[in-house]
Amino acid sequence: MADKSLKKDQVKNLLNKIAQSNQLIAPILSDGITLFKPVQSGEGVVLDYQNAVVPPKDFFFPQSEKMFSYDMSDPSWAIKPEEGVPNRVLFGARPCDVKSILLLDKVFDAEFRDDFYIDKRNKTTIVAISCNDCRHTCFCGAFGISPGKAEGADLLLTDLGDRYLVEVLTDKGETLAANCSDLFSNDDGSGAAAKEKATAPALEKQMKIDLEGVKAKLDNMFDHPMWAAESLRCIGCGTCTFVCPTCHCFDIVDFNNQSSVGYRYRCADSCQFANFTRAAGGHQPRPSKMERTRQRFMHKLRYFVDRYGDFGCVGCGRCLEKCPVNLDIAQIINKVKEVG
Amino acid sequence: MNKVTENLRKTAAKLLQDKEVDMVIGYGLGSEAVRTQPVFITSPDDVDKLVWNPFCVNGLTKYLSDMKDHPGKMAVVVKGCDSRGIYRLAQDSIIPRDKVVVIGIPCAGQLSYTKLASKIDVSGQLKDVEEKGEDVVIKTSKGDFTVKKSEVFLDKCTTCEHHNPVVADHVVGDAINTCPTPDNYDEIKKYEAMSPEEKAKFWLSQFGRCIRCYACRNTCPGCTCRECVFDAIKPDWVGKEIDVSENELFHLTRAFHLAGRCVDCGECDRVCPMDIPIRLLNKKLLKDCKELFNMETPGSTEEGGSVIGQYRLEDPEEFM
Repeated sequence: MADKSLKKDQVKNLLNKIAQSNQLIAPILSDGITLFKPVQSGEGVVLDYQNAVVPPKDFFFPQSEKMFSYDMSDPSWAIKPEEGVPNRVLFGARPCDVKSILLLDKVFDAEFRDDFYIDKRNKTTIVAISCNDCRHTCFCGAFGISPGKAEGADLLLTDLGDRYLVEVLTDKGETLAANCSDLFSNDDGSGAAAKEKATAPALEKQMKIDLEGVKAKLDNMFDHPMWAAESLRCIGCGTCTFVCPTCHCFDIVDFNNQSSVGYRYRCADSCQFANFTRAAGGHQPRPSKMERTRQRFMHKLRYFVDRYGDFGCVGCGRCLEKCPVNLDIAQIINKVKEVG
Repeated sequence: MNKVTENLRKTAAKLLQDKEVDMVIGYGLGSEAVRTQPVFITSPDDVDKLVWNPFCVNGLTKYLSDMKDHPGKMAVVVKGCDSRGIYRLAQDSIIPRDKVVVIGIPCAGQLSYTKLASKIDVSGQLKDVEEKGEDVVIKTSKGDFTVKKSEVFLDKCTTCEHHNPVVADHVVGDAINTCPTPDNYDEIKKYEAMSPEEKAKFWLSQFGRCIRCYACRNTCPGCTCRECVFDAIKPDWVGKEIDVSENELFHLTRAFHLAGRCVDCGECDRVCPMDIPIRLLNKKLLKDCKELFNMETPGSTEEGGSVIGQYRLEDPEEFM
């Protein structure tokens, strides 16, 4: 489908229309921070935000998610599965966050098929929005992501000042666009060039990190003293992993409150926590901060590449901005290149 | 290089050379201009990594309890607020006072990374910082920026009780003679005046967004349990499920554990990625302990201990 144009004053109408027949998930300002939340209408949705504190990953892989429930007093002992999600539109996701969903697909929708994830993925249409500006911690370019492209999105909006350029990227996007066609006009052909100009500052301003040779070097750095040195300042919290759009480790826990009724849930876990790898009997394969810090960076920059052919990081910059002790993955990448 | 940094390096070098300590925990330059990162210096040759500037926000005393099994003696750099953690850890028998050499630095207030990042380009490397009256000039590889200090102070620094460390074996820098501005708890009184429904609404909305990263706990010099109740698997006092009820239990339990022990360093507030005003809870308990038990801010003096862990005949009991 040809590119469309959406007037700025029509955005709220578009959101309202989407919300009529879908669950709408969009960035809002909540107590001073930007978060993706389900919203009833376009009221309060912010599209000029730079980066949500927590990525929209939560709507595909919730931090906490019920898997099934049961009632043992029921003679059939039937397991009650959870209901799936309604049709949803994730509106206003940034290109890095969209890419992170493609990376999660490699984990949850490949060799092992995760029904919980796939249900949410299938029922969600993703409307991405290009970046005209970026945070001081952004470095998506290092991973081949561009502020003006959003592979994996169904529609891509770009703020051109007075209007949005709307690019239809998939069939799902085409369906959504067709349903709202009265709000769009056809792009007059100037959109593509205007988009390049609009997104240039984000490309220019972001940190330039070169990953050339990093993976190959890390292949031989498992026992490097750098990990011990860098991990000293880590306080072992889970901030980096919980604000990360690609971290996906989880734990599974049964809850039954000592009654016949109970449920099983899974919740995000963090490789930075000491009890993440603690095994029955007390064995601890990652006994200190050194092993845990190494694991995080190795997973992003080496193991993920080995397993899935892509880096497990999208350069969103959340972990380096939020780390209480300035353990900065961009700085780590540069150090990996420097050390002998 | 500023005079304090110069003297700090000299002090650290001497401590390491004389083998009085085998590690100095201090601040080094960070990955962005207005950040520092904790550094752990073990050789006199490396003391040049130490810096002192208005971005030394981290409290470093928690590392002492993390490394309590470290065989040698450690030196640690503290500001006034952090220094209360030294007495706190000694009073809780976590770190004997004689195992630590305290390098105290008088501090006029630290600048917030978050506030600065919303005003200036912080992405460069720091070259120099100059204080000019009300302003601070931050010279970076991306340019020089002049900022009004009062607009970028960490919130906690606007009500500072101890500009000068309460304990120090070596003081680096000149004592600060500005009158301390202890908190008059105006903000807490505002919350106290709320109805229970209003309080519940406010706090449940705050706890609702907690991601249970435990950064508040892990940075807290008062959180020193061998096994934290929230990490215990059996019994699982608090479930791992992230929902508002479990989150509430986490925050309130943690606040009660810290009643009479929180040194009010404000690190919990600073590290929270979700901007939950955790310190308000601790402040409320601090205010109550001060009013009920005539308690000083914990860790202010060498004597004393947990006010909740002590019993005095004259303790108030009108709430019983």
